[in-house]
Amino acid sequence: MPPDGRDGKWVRRDLGPVVRPYAVTGGRTEPADGEVLDLVAVVVAVGNDSGAGDDPIRQTPEHRKILRLSQRPVTVADIASDTALPVGVVRVLLADLILQDAVRVVRNRPAVQLPGNDVLKEILNGLRAL
Amino acid sequence: MGSARSDGTDGGGGADDVPVLAAHKILIAGGFGAGKTTLVAAISEVRPLLTEERLSSAGVGLDDLRGVTGKTTTTVAMDFGRITISERLLLYLFGVPGQERFWFMWDELAYGALGAVVLADVRRLRDCFPSVNYFETRKLPFVVAINCFDDAPRYDPEEVRVALDLDPDVPALLCDARQLSSVKTVLTTLVESISAANPSPRRMVSALPPV
Repeated sequence: MPPDGRDGKWVRRDLGPVVRPYAVTGGRTEPADGEVLDLVAVVVAVGNDSGAGDDPIRQTPEHRKILRLSQRPVTVADIASDTALPVGVVRVLLADLILQDAVRVVRNRPAVQLPGNDVLKEILNGLRAL
Repeated sequence: MGSARSDGTDGGGGADDVPVLAAHKILIAGGFGAGKTTLVAAISEVRPLLTEERLSSAGVGLDDLRGVTGKTTTTVAMDFGRITISERLLLYLFGVPGQERFWFMWDELAYGALGAVVLADVRRLRDCFPSVNYFETRKLPFVVAINCFDDAPRYDPEEVRVALDLDPDVPALLCDARQLSSVKTVLTTLVESISAANPSPRRMVSALPPV
């Protein structure tokens, strides 16, 4: 079952995707590497020197869109928001890119332990400045 | 150089050429109509976010399933907002749907979260019981923010605290989910209470001689 490559114009944010969500993953609902990335996991594209960056066979337009968005470190939630793809779909596509060494995880999950008080203080100051 | 290096270790494996980006999340919980969407919109850059809802028997009768035989998931929009603290520190707010059929999402959302805000509507206080129970059980720091709807009776936060049987270290405060300043107070109260409960830095501070 080949992945159904459609671009973002088929997606209406208010209605949800017109294409069944998992059509863009070829029907796969689980990440190929078995890793469920957290919503605030941070990923970044690996430089083109790996040669895996633009494989038209293995990469759908959605894969390439995610690659473009992750040129700078970006969270899974922001990728889902910017692509208007459901989070579960983004996880499947990101896992493909990670297995292709096109994307790497900078920070998978937020630390189980609370951040230090310096980070909390920075958050506090940031909130107060809003 | 020394400070740059300590930043790098904080990045949890970030390479030197990539700027460190840290993202933290705060959950916004509460019953249906308690004001979660309003609160997220008052303080953050609201972003569209779709997630999947597994349709189980719990959803039957609530969702119109006619004509979608065999469909086991559907996409739902989540309350989601981003606060840019700095270029390397982002704070995300996730509204947690209160209805029972969304509970499978809670563990994932709660994992690694800084803490949570439970929005309470005094007219329907029992709607926030499940959220309070959940965060107490998971030992996730939370505050109870009593959303002051214009047509709702006013209660002292202490009365609400008693009604909810909150632990003494759980802050309870009145708020107006529409007002930035009010929502700021809610979130800063939460972060301050997390900071106060953070054991390791406190130990470090107590080891220092008094100034």
